[in-house]
Amino acid sequence: MKRKIGKAFIYLFAIFWTVMTIFPLFITFFNSVKDNKGITLGMFTWPEEFMWSNYTQAFEAAHILQAVGNSMFFAITSTLLTIVIGMLAAYILSRKVFKGRGIVYTMFLIGVMVPIHCTIIPISSMATQVHGKNQSWFLILVYTAFALSQAIFLFTGYLNGVSRELDEAAVIDGCRDRQILFRVLMPVCMPIISTEAILAFIAGYGELIFGMILMSDQNKYTVARAMLTFTGGYKVSLGPIFACIIVAVVPMIIIYILFHEKVQEGMLTGAIKG
Amino acid sequence: MKKRRSSKTTIILYLAPAVILFVMFILYPVINTIYLSFNSWKGIYGSPVNFVGLTNYKQVLQNNAFWKSLLNSFFFMVGGFCVLMPLSFGLALIITSKLRGTKFMKTAFFMPVMLSTTAVALMWVYILNPSYGALNELLRALHLDGLAKDWLSTPGLNIWSVVLVNEWMYAGYNMLIFAAGLVSIPGDIYEAAEIDGCTGFKRLRYISIPLSKESFKIFSILCVTGCLKAFDLVWAMTKGGPNHTSEVPASLLYNEAFTYKFFGKSSAIGVLLLILGVTLSILVNRLLRREEE
Repeated sequence: MKRKIGKAFIYLFAIFWTVMTIFPLFITFFNSVKDNKGITLGMFTWPEEFMWSNYTQAFEAAHILQAVGNSMFFAITSTLLTIVIGMLAAYILSRKVFKGRGIVYTMFLIGVMVPIHCTIIPISSMATQVHGKNQSWFLILVYTAFALSQAIFLFTGYLNGVSRELDEAAVIDGCRDRQILFRVLMPVCMPIISTEAILAFIAGYGELIFGMILMSDQNKYTVARAMLTFTGGYKVSLGPIFACIIVAVVPMIIIYILFHEKVQEGMLTGAIKG
Repeated sequence: MKKRRSSKTTIILYLAPAVILFVMFILYPVINTIYLSFNSWKGIYGSPVNFVGLTNYKQVLQNNAFWKSLLNSFFFMVGGFCVLMPLSFGLALIITSKLRGTKFMKTAFFMPVMLSTTAVALMWVYILNPSYGALNELLRALHLDGLAKDWLSTPGLNIWSVVLVNEWMYAGYNMLIFAAGLVSIPGDIYEAAEIDGCTGFKRLRYISIPLSKESFKIFSILCVTGCLKAFDLVWAMTKGGPNHTSEVPASLLYNEAFTYKFFGKSSAIGVLLLILGVTLSILVNRLLRREEE
């Protein structure tokens, strides 16, 4: 009997939290197709008629699709850069013996600990100096730099666990460093590379602060910036704001539904090793 | 045989991109922040930078808003240990149990962390809205009108609203950490315990929790080092206001620089944040990782 009550309690809690996680998304969606009157009457009520025009407004006034595209582009390019640059450095740190190796490794280790917020002022003025404001390349480099420390840390740790016999065999076959790294080691490192790719991509897509200080041209807004600007204005219609939020999260939800096992696995590895 | 590039050139060539990016965007900015923290500057490129010694630090340390922001960071940590930890552990127990539908639940519980922080923040801003927000509507429907508050503007309450949204977002993420620990507990330990009559809460108390020590350590490290990094959620939900009541150090730093144009003062906050962040990271890692050896 006691056991049954316990089980029922666990079930209830499980259902409660499932509802808790999904509900905010549902509420946001239903309100994204209502007009102001419908929203202020109560967020819980079913929309009387579905006002899809709110989405058109979100596209036209907030340029949310453009922002999603921008953020996707920034996130993907910086992720690719992080992986290539990170693997190059990790290969050297793991495979070569040279003076200063310890220093370089410690440097990146400290890089993981530096709070990004204490770098925003110099990075902002540097952007002005090198004409990097409103430039995609500058923002991408910033994202890459901040993802890099963790990437190098993860990659080096993984490579240290990969047998050196593999490289030796490749050397005997006449491979050079470039071939050893890209043809032999890179495929072996795929698990950790995909982990880092997931972490860097999620971080890049949702990034807020650098998008805020470096991009002031609406055509270059990141998703986070576009949403905040749109909601921060003195807008009277709420529906398009909700539509904006839905459009911003849909790409991530699709990616998550498609790859949820891989994403969970990657985030877990990142948490435990990072 | 082809001539090989000397090993030294390879080392430099391969390390160069990473080192250059690190120096440009992390090392130089940090040094520059330290330099600026001893100066007064209006933040306009080309405008004069005047040496003012420790004035910025004095001002920051005498500023109530700074101490309030540190306290709020501390609240993030308190919320982490008192709400997030039991919640995530509970969720981990659920998804590793033999209940039906655990796979779906796992996927659902984890989802919030995938949504960008700003989107999460804004969804909750509207749910918590005092006049038409869903939470107050629910409370009113339950005839609990007294509990319907202005969640994000009431000093003392607003920071906790943000902290709880933070726990909502990360519960599923930390659940995975605990679940990984739980599934690594060998099944025969549970079987042996069951024979000895150790089930239900006893099992939790004497087996699941003690044997998840490693997960609790990882959680603690993430929680302690993470509490100073909170910014996105705070910024998107309250901007640190009203009247600095929900400020965290990072949002205070941002406001001082980009709202009030006190770049020197802001840099001083940055340096303090840096010292605190690195010390906490090293400390908590030493403390918890040393035991392993």
